[in-house]
Amino acid sequence: MPSDSLLQVAVLVIFTVNALLLMALVILKVIHRRRMHDHDARRKSYLGLLSRCLSFPNNTEPITEAIAEDPAFLDALIDMRNAISGDEVSTLHRIVNRHGVIERQRRHLDSSWLLGRRLRAAVALAELGDELSADTLMAHLDDREPEIRIQCARGLGRIRWTPAIDEIVSRFKEEIPWVRVRFSDTLLGFGTKATWPLLAYVKINHRFDHRGPALALRTIAQVQDDQAVGPLLELLDERLHLEVELATIETLGELGSPEALPPLEQRLRASRWEIRAKAASSLGGLGDPSAIPHLVEAMRDESWWVRRSAAGAIARLPDGVAALYQSLDDEDPYAADAAAEALIDVGELVSARRRADQGGSRHEPLLAHMRGKGNS
Amino acid sequence: MSEKKRILVADDSETIRALLQTALESAGYEVDVAKDGLSAYELGSAGGYDLIILDQLMPGLLGLDVITRWHEEGMDVPVLMLTGVDDDRTAVESFDRGAVDFVRKPFRITELMARIKMQT
Amino acid sequence: MKWVGYATIAYFIAMQAYMLFLAVVSAAALRRNHHLRRFGRVGEMLSSKTSPPVSIIIAAYNEEAGIVDAVRSMSIVRYPRFEIVVINDGSRDNTLAALIEAFDLEKVRIPYRPELESAPIRAIFRGRSGVDITVIDKENGGRADALNAGINVARHSYVFCTDADVVLDPDCLVHSMQRVVEDRERTVGVGGNVRPLNGSRVELGHIIEAGVPRRLIPRMQILEYLRNFLASRPAWSWMNSVPIVSGAFGIWKKSVVVEVGGLTAGHMGEDMDLTMRIHRHMLVRGIPYRIVYEPAAVIWTEVPDTVRVLRRQRIRWHRGLMRVVSDFRDMTFNPRYRQMGTVAWPGFVLFEYLAPIVEFIGWFVVPTAWLLGAIDTTALVWLLLIALGMGLLNSLIALLLDESFGYFNSPTDTSRLIAVAAIENFGLRQLTVLWRIRALLGGKGTRRWGNMERRGVTNLAADSR
Repeated sequence: MPSDSLLQVAVLVIFTVNALLLMALVILKVIHRRRMHDHDARRKSYLGLLSRCLSFPNNTEPITEAIAEDPAFLDALIDMRNAISGDEVSTLHRIVNRHGVIERQRRHLDSSWLLGRRLRAAVALAELGDELSADTLMAHLDDREPEIRIQCARGLGRIRWTPAIDEIVSRFKEEIPWVRVRFSDTLLGFGTKATWPLLAYVKINHRFDHRGPALALRTIAQVQDDQAVGPLLELLDERLHLEVELATIETLGELGSPEALPPLEQRLRASRWEIRAKAASSLGGLGDPSAIPHLVEAMRDESWWVRRSAAGAIARLPDGVAALYQSLDDEDPYAADAAAEALIDVGELVSARRRADQGGSRHEPLLAHMRGKGNS
Repeated sequence: MSEKKRILVADDSETIRALLQTALESAGYEVDVAKDGLSAYELGSAGGYDLIILDQLMPGLLGLDVITRWHEEGMDVPVLMLTGVDDDRTAVESFDRGAVDFVRKPFRITELMARIKMQT
Repeated sequence: MKWVGYATIAYFIAMQAYMLFLAVVSAAALRRNHHLRRFGRVGEMLSSKTSPPVSIIIAAYNEEAGIVDAVRSMSIVRYPRFEIVVINDGSRDNTLAALIEAFDLEKVRIPYRPELESAPIRAIFRGRSGVDITVIDKENGGRADALNAGINVARHSYVFCTDADVVLDPDCLVHSMQRVVEDRERTVGVGGNVRPLNGSRVELGHIIEAGVPRRLIPRMQILEYLRNFLASRPAWSWMNSVPIVSGAFGIWKKSVVVEVGGLTAGHMGEDMDLTMRIHRHMLVRGIPYRIVYEPAAVIWTEVPDTVRVLRRQRIRWHRGLMRVVSDFRDMTFNPRYRQMGTVAWPGFVLFEYLAPIVEFIGWFVVPTAWLLGAIDTTALVWLLLIALGMGLLNSLIALLLDESFGYFNSPTDTSRLIAVAAIENFGLRQLTVLWRIRALLGGKGTRRWGNMERRGVTNLAADSR
């Protein structure tokens, strides 16, 4: 049994710590409350100020140094930047540059010790920066803090700084997954200039890693560069990891080139259902109705996901809806169901109901399918 | 003495409200604001506006819901919808319900002002 | 007698030390994202076009009062792609009619693939207005059963299970799905932060301002939830041993939920049961996985504000807990289950499950021992003070950890929270212990999810300030 004095000391220590924590709590709350309130009030007034600057080109309201240094002003600038587009953005940039806002943020990013301040600076540069900020942003692509790396890449994408493309793609391999995903978002900002670096990256790395190349392929899909089709078709001839093959097929579907028709149709008979399904849905993006008979066949696949994908693909093709209506009578009930579901998804049921009173007969089979098979 | 035209701006973003209010007032309009769908509907229905600018994503009632109600009630004030960049569906459906125009966000102030002038 | 008395008190001190340990580890785990939270622009910063789509699944029973508003507020959550699935679990009121009218629903016939068992489905509806909503009308089967049906219909690979009476923070999906995207292959579940909305100003499905109510019952729960969600879960998450992903905010990889057979119908702790079953499923098969907790993903829910309703809730919770502890007792100190088995689960059972039992025994043992002179009066006083002090310490740490989230800033709120931290050990806590003993004695009977009296979110908020 511990002695009395030991117990006393323990009690003393515990209650002292409690008192300290209590004081800290109260102080923090007071500070925070006041700071938040002020920050918000100032931000609102700056929004008004910036609105007037944008509406009146000759507005002479002064933007003092105190205002330019205020984080609330930065917040207001970022908000405003996101609300407008076109010429007014350059007006905003003029304001920003005239008052050294960007300069200040670059300094903070380079040399501040406070992580919060550096992060805010990185976001500010990403949102408001121009070519002059490019060097700083490039330098911090290797920053210790992942969020800062992301914001720098984002900024480089927004100002379309092409030398950054290779830098960003080359970091795919080493980067942590979350940052890699955000990097790929960034590359979209560069448009078609990103295509070749991404393709090169996939070609070199797909044997060693599947995640990075799969992500790169999905990025290519969003960039929408037709020049990628040829290299992608070549890629399909190689032995690929499942994820990479799926991403390649998906990308070809997104790019929509009819050259992809033969390899995709071939994959409707692949041994893995994931490939069959992905090939089916990608055929929907190629816009070639000659794929329809193959897809109708795929609607009788044993895997419901393949059936669903095939039906959805048909719906996207010219004359596909008509083909789906025919499939409602398919002897395979699962195929008929898939056709009905796809028709509903494209709003056919809505049109059917709307036009039923106007005496349209085209939609009757779908309505019959709904009624005919009884209650769900 | 010519009367000022009245415009209602409904958007949950403070920035957009501030921006539009300033721009419109400087162009000689009288401006009221609403922060959410329900108050947009109530203010708009109360009447007296020459144009209503309606955002789609608002708390309470979506912009599309508000314009649907007005359409059903036969309200004839012109409505201009503000939609997001990827939101085609709202634009199309709002035309079905009587909107006179739509503008995507982020927008250009000069373009928006031109469209507003056309409607008022 | 003497030893039993001292042992009981020692248990309490050990329990507080365990809580303190969790709190300190949680503090370290939370520090990581502290600067992001202070910065405040996180929602914009984190949004990505490649975010995986999510199916929000809401089980609704007799919710005609608030269901339309709830769905509306969920429909404007800030996230690129998601759908809303509402399950009308055989409501006896106009829940379904309200939904049909508000969202222009039409009955559709789509193939329903019952990967998970549930009570029979009556009809499926899809919405025609701007919201991507599917409504399932089914026969009553309880919350777990309803969620299973919802999971069957969900089109996306991640499901977000929640209730009809919650208020979502608009960025909650962004924050929680970020944890998924960070590690898509391994992340199978993400739990969020549940905060009581009693005392807060709510308008149109949005929290305008968080607040602390005047009434003691909900106030105590605010503190309790803070201790749980900020000073315990981050620690468990760090150890990949979160024993319970709250039913009000649980994001799961759909395929994994299907693999384990979905939620258990009729279980009163179905959220904890699902979490533990998934842990076991992955650990037994040696599949690398993680279930994480994201404190910045926030959801607000109404908590009982009367003793009567709270009592019912706690008895039900404890019954669920009892069943889970029994079902998973083989995990205790079992190295096959790694950190979960060796550290987290035993700690949980020992200090959270057994605590009310030991405390109850202590109420009799300690005074008896003292009266018999077996325990020295001064020693008793010091020991009780130590236990009390440590309890207060845990509460203060939780309140400090909450600082970086920026809620409860008015002097009234702060003083109310501190006050309840001081007095909760003098009566309120004893009440919960009594109820848990009651649950223990009452056996493990199953009962349908009761209908908490819903005062309606806005009414509650109005009078509680």
